[in-house]
Amino acid sequence: MTINNSSKALLTGNEAIALGAYDAGVCVATGYPGTPSSEILPFLAKLSDATVNWSINEKTALEIAVGASIGYKRSMFTTKHVGLNVASDPLMTLAITGVKSGLVIITADDPNMHSSQNEQDNRFYAKFAKIPLLEPSDSEECLKLTSMAFDISEKFDTPVIIRITTRISHSGSIVAIPNISDEYRRRCCTPRSYKKDIKKFVMVPIYARKRHKTAIERLERLREYSNNSGINKIEYNGKEFGIITSGISYQYAKEAAPSASFLKLSFSYPVPDLLIKKFVENVKNVVVIEELEPFIQEEISSLGLNLSGKEYFKRHGELTPDLVENGLIKAGFLSTDNNYNTLKISDNVNSDVSVNKNVEVNHGDLNCLHKMLPPRLPALCSGCPHTAIFYALKKLRVPVMGDIGCYTLGALPPLSAMDSCISMGLAFGAAQGLSMTNSSVKKITGIMGDSTFFHSGITSLIDAKYNNACFTAIILNNSTTAMTGGQDHPGTGKNLSPDQTVSNKIDIRKVVESIGIDEIYTVDTYDYNETYKILKKALDSEKLNVVITNRPCVLYPKKLDIGKKFKILNGCNGCSLCMQIGCPSILPSNLIGTDKNMPFIDSSCVGCSICMDICIFNFIEEIK
Amino acid sequence: MKINDAQGIQNILICGIGGQGVVLAGKIIGIAAFESGLDVKKSEVHGMSQRGGSVSTHIRFGEEIFSPLIPEHAASTILSFDIYETLRYVKNFANNKTIVISSDYGMMPLWTSKNENDKIENGSITTENITNALRTEFEYLHLLNNKKIAADLGNIKVSNIVSIGLLSNYTDIKREIWLEVVKQNVPKKTVDLNLKAFLIGRNEGNK
Repeated sequence: MTINNSSKALLTGNEAIALGAYDAGVCVATGYPGTPSSEILPFLAKLSDATVNWSINEKTALEIAVGASIGYKRSMFTTKHVGLNVASDPLMTLAITGVKSGLVIITADDPNMHSSQNEQDNRFYAKFAKIPLLEPSDSEECLKLTSMAFDISEKFDTPVIIRITTRISHSGSIVAIPNISDEYRRRCCTPRSYKKDIKKFVMVPIYARKRHKTAIERLERLREYSNNSGINKIEYNGKEFGIITSGISYQYAKEAAPSASFLKLSFSYPVPDLLIKKFVENVKNVVVIEELEPFIQEEISSLGLNLSGKEYFKRHGELTPDLVENGLIKAGFLSTDNNYNTLKISDNVNSDVSVNKNVEVNHGDLNCLHKMLPPRLPALCSGCPHTAIFYALKKLRVPVMGDIGCYTLGALPPLSAMDSCISMGLAFGAAQGLSMTNSSVKKITGIMGDSTFFHSGITSLIDAKYNNACFTAIILNNSTTAMTGGQDHPGTGKNLSPDQTVSNKIDIRKVVESIGIDEIYTVDTYDYNETYKILKKALDSEKLNVVITNRPCVLYPKKLDIGKKFKILNGCNGCSLCMQIGCPSILPSNLIGTDKNMPFIDSSCVGCSICMDICIFNFIEEIK
Repeated sequence: MKINDAQGIQNILICGIGGQGVVLAGKIIGIAAFESGLDVKKSEVHGMSQRGGSVSTHIRFGEEIFSPLIPEHAASTILSFDIYETLRYVKNFANNKTIVISSDYGMMPLWTSKNENDKIENGSITTENITNALRTEFEYLHLLNNKKIAADLGNIKVSNIVSIGLLSNYTDIKREIWLEVVKQNVPKKTVDLNLKAFLIGRNEGNK
């Protein structure tokens, strides 16, 4: 965080949310890492004396926040969009019990799936649970709305959802730093004595029926607040064109049509019916601009007002300034001549030539070259401890039920050794299910990382043992949550609190043993031949067994270099077998411009030695 | 030597390969603009694409900024750490007036199948051809071997700072602010080296 003299700072949305929670006196904050939400808790831990912890999964994280709220402490739970599915069980009932101290849920959605398996629109959770929804459109609003959300939560006795998206989380803009008094923080942190309140928190039918009624009545009060609180704002700029929008779409729309009138919904559920009616009465043509689902559009439609929206702005992926501008042109709000396209690079006639046909192309032409440029896909790192496992699984030609983490990249060529990626912890359940179908002559495997195993693999492994399933469960234990940036988990024995001695380390092998699985293998994946042998043995066994890898991640907690370098010897026949492991340090001959038809290992090699094990002609050796 | 777009907004797009330091470069440029008292927005990429994928950061500054994303063909400057990524991003973000500052080398991305890779061998996406195409298209083009400049200074880790130094010529941001921001945002032990790299880059632009 940089703070200049005027006490302003350039913060990302995630950082601003942490600051807003700090400003509101949050005492307990929990979550499970997930892009794009992952940076909120680490930033809060640095700022604040609050208890800030990674939890084992989102459900547990929300439950901890619930307990803290029952104990009169403001609490916050952060998650990515799909994580709220995991926490939806406590959420849906918390929605009717309400809270004691403020409880705020941050859900970070990922339109366009930059780093996710789906792009569900979590605004529907607010409607589903009948709780208020806030949608900030920049970092300043992230700070203010987060801080206000705790007051709203207490005023209306409800959890509050703040829904952000990747472009809010990972965009930076300027915020005014609030004055946070030590005295206020102290007051927030003073314990209040616990009071039992079974009518509020014991949701047996007799009490739950009453609470549900209360939650429905609460919606009406929330709607009134949505109309009158001033959080939702009308900006009049003429009566011809009006835009109703929320979140990042507001910024794109302001960019494209600064002279339109705006109704900006920052408190977007329940929608402010009176404000909307007033806006539509005062402005002649109104469209709704929102990313993903027509959530606001449908809410407005249920007020009996039919406005267009999704007719012009797509329902999948992210919006961009250009998509919004083009939509507004189609809607008749803008004419085509104020388009940026006037500056466009001239499209050369040659750009129509397909590279697949052997027509002569102009190699000096930018558009032509661009058409030939392959996409640059993410890949497992040089020295990644997952590589050998996937290469061995490919050789063994077994069905692999996969999971979510860096290792999902094992599904991409050239490794191509993972057959599913659907939800956190799916692998062992799906492996059990697939093994029941007898559709494969080979034994089934399920594969997941250490953090995923703790998140939701333990339960499915117990189920497998309970139901006498037979498959090989592989746990890629790299001692970190790598994909999201190297967060701690129960297997690392550390957490975010400055005093890290409070955390205990949970031993994965002991967990597996305690289930009663007795065939457990530990493998060092930097020894490819041994890895292959052990996997083969595990797959040949007719029992449920577990393979645990033990090499740490090469990126987290710090960059690892084994200190060895490898080279390909002259005489190599260029079979390119070593390139089948997808190591980014091994480059094909045509890239380095030599005449020799042999790959090349560049200086980014960290020395894992797998390629040496794989070269059947022994043409790879260590540089001494 | 500054070229702004019509509304006085500077749109800087930084691109490269995940892990190359695109996010940190964006942070330094964003903070420098912020310290100059301008409105700033930036947008970066985390997660999956950081594992060696193609990445970009958008930085916009001026009097008032709405969208954190640069509209298509509206980049005033493209700063690239890989010439293949330069090729990728100029297509959608550059116009003929865009200042392109790119490393003159790069790592060729590969198609995932042998068939498609053969197309590359027959075709010609060589750095030489990309260089020629960029020269034809852009009036303001700097191709530099920032890695070599950094290596000559003693540490290739400062290669991005060399490029940022060059870029600094094309902004309204004062020299002192740049130097202070570089100082504050690199590891303490490497401050002198980074400042030297920045100034060498800055002088490259005046050649």
